[in-house]
Amino acid sequence: MTVAVPSALLADLLSAPRPAEWEALRLAAEARLAGRELPTPRDKGWQFTDLAPLSHTSFAPAPEATADISADLLPEMVGTRQVFVNGRYAPHASCVSALPPGLRFLPLTLASEACHCLGTLAPETARSPFEDLNTARFEDGALILVPKNLRATLPLHLLFVTRAEHPCAVFPRVLIRLEAGAELSLVEEHMGHGPYLTCPVVEIQVGEGAILRHERVQRDHATAIHLATLRATVAQGGQYHSRTLTFGARLSRQEPSVRLAEGAEATLDGLALLGDGQLADTHSFLHHAAPHGTSHQLHTCVVDGQARAVFNGQIRVAPGAQGTDAQQKSRNLLLSGTARVDTEPQLEIYADDVKCTHGAAVGQLDPDEIFYLQSRGLDLEAARNLLTYGFAADLLERIPVASLRRALRRLVLARTHASALGDLA
Amino acid sequence: MLSIKNLTASINGTPVLKGIDLEIKAGEIHAIMGPNGSGKSTLGKVLVGHPSYEVTGGEVLFEGKNLFDLEPDVRARAGLFMGFQHPIEVPGVSNAAFLRLAYNKKAEAEGRDELDPLEFDDFIREKIKLVSMKEAFLDRSLNEGFSGGEKKRNEILQMAVLEPKLAILDELDSGLDIDALRVLGDAVNKLMRPDHALLVITHFPRILETIRPQFVHVLSGGRILKQGGPGLAIELEERGYDWVVEEAATGGHR
Repeated sequence: MTVAVPSALLADLLSAPRPAEWEALRLAAEARLAGRELPTPRDKGWQFTDLAPLSHTSFAPAPEATADISADLLPEMVGTRQVFVNGRYAPHASCVSALPPGLRFLPLTLASEACHCLGTLAPETARSPFEDLNTARFEDGALILVPKNLRATLPLHLLFVTRAEHPCAVFPRVLIRLEAGAELSLVEEHMGHGPYLTCPVVEIQVGEGAILRHERVQRDHATAIHLATLRATVAQGGQYHSRTLTFGARLSRQEPSVRLAEGAEATLDGLALLGDGQLADTHSFLHHAAPHGTSHQLHTCVVDGQARAVFNGQIRVAPGAQGTDAQQKSRNLLLSGTARVDTEPQLEIYADDVKCTHGAAVGQLDPDEIFYLQSRGLDLEAARNLLTYGFAADLLERIPVASLRRALRRLVLARTHASALGDLA
Repeated sequence: MLSIKNLTASINGTPVLKGIDLEIKAGEIHAIMGPNGSGKSTLGKVLVGHPSYEVTGGEVLFEGKNLFDLEPDVRARAGLFMGFQHPIEVPGVSNAAFLRLAYNKKAEAEGRDELDPLEFDDFIREKIKLVSMKEAFLDRSLNEGFSGGEKKRNEILQMAVLEPKLAILDELDSGLDIDALRVLGDAVNKLMRPDHALLVITHFPRILETIRPQFVHVLSGGRILKQGGPGLAIELEERGYDWVVEEAATGGHR
C-alpha cells in the first residue's frame, strides 16, 4: 500500500490497471492528472471542505460484488431500471422490459453510441480532478438516449450500489441525451455499505424544447465519501429540472454546472439533511449564456450535531443574455450549537436587463411557529420535530414519483425524529 | 371556568396589561372590545401562554387550575384554544396531518381512542363542511399561501377538531368578507355548548351580530374601563371608543 501523501489517492488509483476501451480519453485524463495534487483548503472553492480524509486512506479499485436491492425498488420503475454494483453493470438486478420503443437505456459497455457521447455532451467548465479520475478509471455507467419528440411516461431508475469491506473507489458515469421535444423523468440513486469513495460524473444534453426532470438521491453509507460532478447544456427552449437530496456520506460534494441557451429553463434545487460529523458541500454554477433564460435554485440544509454544510451558488449572466430571470435562495436550519453552515451566493452579471434575486438565511426554529403548534396541543419536542420535518420536507412535495416521495418523506421523518408523530407521509 | 384576578403583563419590559379582572362561566359568551393597541390581543395571548409576554402579577384559574403553572400545550390539551388574528404558515407539513396530530394528542390526553388516517379522513370531511372549506386545503401545507380568509377558516376548523372548553377568538372578522364571516360565525355558534364558553376579541362590533355575547368589556390602556350587556356593543358601534376613555378619565364608573 502507498503512503499517505496528498496525491496518494490519485497515485493509488492510477497505478491500477486501466479498464478496457476509451483509451484515448483515459490517457488524456491521466495526462491532465499527472503531477496534480488533491485540492486543499488553500485552494479556491475548497476553503471549507477539507479532503484530508481522502489522503489518509488508501483506496483500491472496487472488487466485483453483488447486492440485494429488492428493498430499494420503486414500483413505478420496476421495468425501467438499470442497476450498477461496485461500478459494474448488474444485469440480474436490472430490468428494462417497460421501456418505450426508441428509448435507449443501457450500460455504456454495451452501447455503441457511447463513444460519440462520452466527454462531448456538455462542454467542460473548470475540470475537477475527480472528473478526470472518473474518465481515467470508470468501469461502466449508463447511457440514456431519448429520440426526438418521445415523451416517456414512465420514469427511469438508475441505481448505483457500492459494497466495500475495505476502502475502495467507484466511478459511475452517466450520459444523457434528450433530442428536440423529448421528455424524461429520471431518478438517480446512490447507496451502499462500507468505507468507499464514489466519484460519479453525469453529462447531460437537453435538446431544443426537451424537458428532463432529474431526481438525485444520495444516501450513501455513513463512512462513504461522495464527490459528484454534473454538467448539463440546455438548448433553446429546453428545460432541466433537478433536485439533489443529500442524506448520506460522511463527506460529500456536488458540483453541478448548467449552461442555458436562449429561453431555456433550469431548476437546481437541493436538500441536505446532515447530522453527526457529516460534511456536505454544494458548489453550483448556473450559466445564462443567452437571452431570456430562467433559473430557480432553492438550497435547503438542516444541520445537526457537529455537521457542516457548505453552499456556493455561482450564477453568471453572460453579456447579451438580456431578459434573464435568475432566482436563488439558500435556507438553513441549525439544530445544534456545534452545527455550521457556510453559504455564499456568487453573482456575475454582465447584462443590464436582467432580474436576479438571491437570499440566504441561517437560523434556528422560529419561536412563533413553535408556539403556534404548542397552542394546538403539541408538546415542545413534537412541535420542534414537526417544524424541522416541515423545513426539510417542503422540497420533497414536488417530486413527481409518488413512491419515491413517500419513501423520502419517511426517511426525513426518521432523520428529524418526527417518526413518533405518526404517519405524516 | 376562567377566573382572572388583577392580571398584569408586559412585553420587553413595557407593561401592556395593568390589572385585569374577568370571570367567565360555562355557557357564557364574552366580548372584549377596544381601540387598537388597547391590550385586547395581549390578553388572549397571555392566557394561552405566548412566550413574548411576561406575566408580572395576578392570577388566572382555568377550571380551578393555576393557568401559569401549565405549558402552552398542556393548556391546549386541557381545553383552552385561541383562534389567532395572524395564524402562522408552516411549509412542508400537510394541514390534514397536522390536524390529525393535534386531534390525537388531545384524545391521548383525555384517554380517548386515537384516529388512524382513514378514520380521521371521515372525521375531518364532516368538519370541513361546517366551515365550508374545500377539501384541497387539507392536502396543502398548513396555512401556507392561504388567503387571510382561508387562514381564519382553518383556525375555526382547528377549533371544530379540538372542541375546546374555552375558545378565544382574536379579530375573527379581519380578512373576511361578509359571507365568510357569517359562515364562520354560524360555525362557532354550532360548536358552542352549555359546558363551553367563548371569549371574542374584536375591534369592530360587526362579528357580534352573529356571535352574540351576553357580556361586553371595553379594554383600553391595559385596563377594563367599562362592562355591560349586549347593548354596550351597539352603543360602541354608534359612538366609537373615545367617550368610554373620557368617561373613565373623568372618574366615571368602572
